[in-house]
Amino acid sequence: MEQEQSVAKIPGLNFIPAAVLRSVFREDRFFLILSVFIGIFSGLAVVCFRFAIEWCRIYLLGSGAVLSPSRMLLAPTITGLVIAVLTIHVFPLARGSGVNQTKAALYIYNGYIPVRTAIGKFITSALAIGSGHSLGPEDPSLQIGACLASAIGRRLDLSRDRMRLIAPVGAAAGLAAAFNAPISAVLFVIEEVIGRWTAGILGSVVLSAVSSVVVMRWFLGSESLFRIPAVELRRPSELIAYSVLGVVGGLASIAFSSGISFLRPLCKKMSPWTHYLQPAIAGLLIGCIAMLGAPQVMGAGYEYIDQAMHGRFTWQFLAILGLLKIVATLLSFVSGTPGGMFAPTLFIGAMLGASVGGAEHALLPHLTASPGTYALVGMGVLFAGFLRAPMTSVFMVLEVSGNYSIIVPVIIANTIAYVISRALQPTPIFDVLTRQDGMDLPSMEEQREENVLRVEDAMRPPTTPPLEEDEALGNASLLAHVGPDDVLLVRLRPTGWSSVTREELDQMIQSGNGSQVLRDVLHDNPIPCLHPDQPLEMALRYLDRWPLMPVVNRADFSKLEGVITQHDVLDRYRDFEGE
Amino acid sequence: MIKPPKLPDFSQYLRREPVMLAVLSGLAIILILAVSGLSRIFYAQQDALATRWSSRGTADLNAGNYRAAVTEFRAALRYARGDYAYQLSLAQALVGLKRTDEAHAYLINLWGRQPENALANLELARIAASKGETAQALRYYHNAIYATWPDNQETESRRARLELIHYLLGINAETQAQAQLIALEATIGDNPSQQAQLGRLFLVAHDENHALEAFRRSLRLKHNNPEALAGAGEAAFQLGLYPTARRYLESAVAVSPGDTKSVALLRTTGFVLQMDPFRPQIPVARRNRIVVAAFAAAGKRLSACAASGAAGPPSGLENLDQQWEDLKPHITDYGLRRNPDLANTAMTLVFNIEQKATTLCKAPSETDQALLLIAKLHEEN
Repeated sequence: MEQEQSVAKIPGLNFIPAAVLRSVFREDRFFLILSVFIGIFSGLAVVCFRFAIEWCRIYLLGSGAVLSPSRMLLAPTITGLVIAVLTIHVFPLARGSGVNQTKAALYIYNGYIPVRTAIGKFITSALAIGSGHSLGPEDPSLQIGACLASAIGRRLDLSRDRMRLIAPVGAAAGLAAAFNAPISAVLFVIEEVIGRWTAGILGSVVLSAVSSVVVMRWFLGSESLFRIPAVELRRPSELIAYSVLGVVGGLASIAFSSGISFLRPLCKKMSPWTHYLQPAIAGLLIGCIAMLGAPQVMGAGYEYIDQAMHGRFTWQFLAILGLLKIVATLLSFVSGTPGGMFAPTLFIGAMLGASVGGAEHALLPHLTASPGTYALVGMGVLFAGFLRAPMTSVFMVLEVSGNYSIIVPVIIANTIAYVISRALQPTPIFDVLTRQDGMDLPSMEEQREENVLRVEDAMRPPTTPPLEEDEALGNASLLAHVGPDDVLLVRLRPTGWSSVTREELDQMIQSGNGSQVLRDVLHDNPIPCLHPDQPLEMALRYLDRWPLMPVVNRADFSKLEGVITQHDVLDRYRDFEGE
Repeated sequence: MIKPPKLPDFSQYLRREPVMLAVLSGLAIILILAVSGLSRIFYAQQDALATRWSSRGTADLNAGNYRAAVTEFRAALRYARGDYAYQLSLAQALVGLKRTDEAHAYLINLWGRQPENALANLELARIAASKGETAQALRYYHNAIYATWPDNQETESRRARLELIHYLLGINAETQAQAQLIALEATIGDNPSQQAQLGRLFLVAHDENHALEAFRRSLRLKHNNPEALAGAGEAAFQLGLYPTARRYLESAVAVSPGDTKSVALLRTTGFVLQMDPFRPQIPVARRNRIVVAAFAAAGKRLSACAASGAAGPPSGLENLDQQWEDLKPHITDYGLRRNPDLANTAMTLVFNIEQKATTLCKAPSETDQALLLIAKLHEEN
């Protein structure tokens, strides 16, 4: 009532019913509205980021499709020097891809990412990508989105829980706008950043991703990243050909991630003055690769993915391009140049995919799929194998291609690449980078595969049979003194349970209630039940209040499957650590 | 019992959230306007670059510099990614460079976007034709004929049909080509050179009747059209209308004395008319002279064949040689006057000898050629 009066006192809001205002301004609902704004701002930032990259490219590398040799060498080298100065002195947190920084914000800094990081990421990544460093705009967009969200959250003084979640919401918006693929962005953030599906965050992530994509499409158009050639799977036997692609992609992922794991610490350990030169040297070497006949490795390379899909290159050259792009990306990334790995991953995958497709066509001309189809599947394969985001990889290909007939080859090839990559390189690349940076963020892959202890793992058969509700207190007391347990479970008809201790029974009898039945005294005191399949941590929520808990059948609540005590739970956890 | 989470003080929220939402909304509007301005500048530059590169590409494409055109259209597409015309031009330049697989990938994409686009269909038809995929080629050619052309719908559609006809003639699908030619006939109108071209195509498709009609239409529109005169002569010649053929061919040679083909045809026509004893309204004495001359020519043909073989006449001609020898004493002016039926017997033997010798012996002389044509003419009748 008091709240309603306070609403009425706000000038200009008298016409809005108090219930509506109260409903809107509960923090969880307000967070949903806020997600839309985060999406809009992230979308606008990503649009500006794309403009900036394009302008940098035009002014640094030229506007033509053929680059001049001098620009190929000088643009990434000189820009590398500028980037080094900026990242060392002005924007130290702008290094790297941005995914781990967003995870760190979620798990370490309570959602805090300095605004300066976004500005630094924007400027340095645009310079790096625009000048031809082999990096992409997606991961920086993700971080810029997260950073904007974090700034808005701080400004609005959100609670700590909301602040922790706001960075992934912004990350999803940034990634969705960069990829023009909202589903993939949502999945990636859930799969790689948050690590779990919760209804509370899902709505916000989806809303922000969708609103950012709407904004991005408003300004940049709704065209997908690639012009996808016709995709058709005519013969199921061709799945074998796609399996080969899965194997090649898995091995390439290992080579790529091993290169980063090995070279990055070496570069970081070098004496500090070399850090000024590393991005420039990387740029110079990339320029040399470009001058030697592979200018396609420069920048994000989306146009060349498009051309590979349309059969521009021979399969031998595609294979060389894939390998050179791995080298170029390694150089750019390990030198600390800010920029993302998504685009290079897609490039490498597309080139290797089209190359495998072309080679298979040369050997088996009856195969019907075009190299473009293999390039498309190849992108997903590297995404699954290198970034270790299997779900995202499948949906990314579907979303980018808009063709669901490709789903079976994608699933098969991606799964093979993922399994090979996991078997040969147990630690995913994002976790490797995290550990190299001296942090211990939760590994999403490990979380996904973690064995969860359940109630059935700790429960035991009841030592004393449960009492029935029509048992007299006197008899119940006698039974209680016969058994070893201090606490007895009581079955309340039709489906409830309660518990009573030996002392409570004795007290009730002493107070003259010995003739009453258990139902009379326990009817208003039911206890919650557990089920065998529930996580064990669920039991801990109740065991401090009720020392003995019934574990009952889900189909028949009156059927006792077992009992559980705090001691049983702790014993099980102790044994589990040993396992 | 678990207590529900305590809601934050509502009035505290109310003091902030509506205001913040209003501020955020205002900020969003301002930023959207700012980014709109930025995007206008950005797209103006992109459009200018796209136009610059595409106009260079178009010039190179028209000049046949396909390699440069490909690079320039690729540059143009950097700045106008979805532009249909640039993609189509790129595909055309790729076709020019014989990079048909790459061109096909682009064209299929374009075709998916606009299946009714005539240029995309025509290019796809050409690629399918070059790969020997007849069914696909025919499908795309038909699409191109009935599709939407950017300008000059009728002319371009006719050109596409002509291309289809040439393709069909190239793969010896004459019946289909004739059907297309008949369809083309309806669209040509009063253009003498196009009518003559149509007639020429009918001739290639072995539809001499339609060819002659087309050439006659052309001549009605332009009397001294040398191409039409020569074509009409050839069509009449093929139809066995040798007097008509001679008339047209004489005119053709008169108008265009350098037309060696017409000259040769006229000469052969002359021989045919000279050697044909069955021509109506010729005197008996002349007919008999022609039969005697034809019989002698057949004998010469047999002798030439026998001379070319090491051991007498080829095996298929031995019997005919014997028949010729048996008949020879009777084939004289006198013998023919006495027995006019001998003329038919003699000419039948002559035709048999000439036809057999064509397959077994060297190339025929002009006289033999004329006799063969007469044999063919009378077989048909």
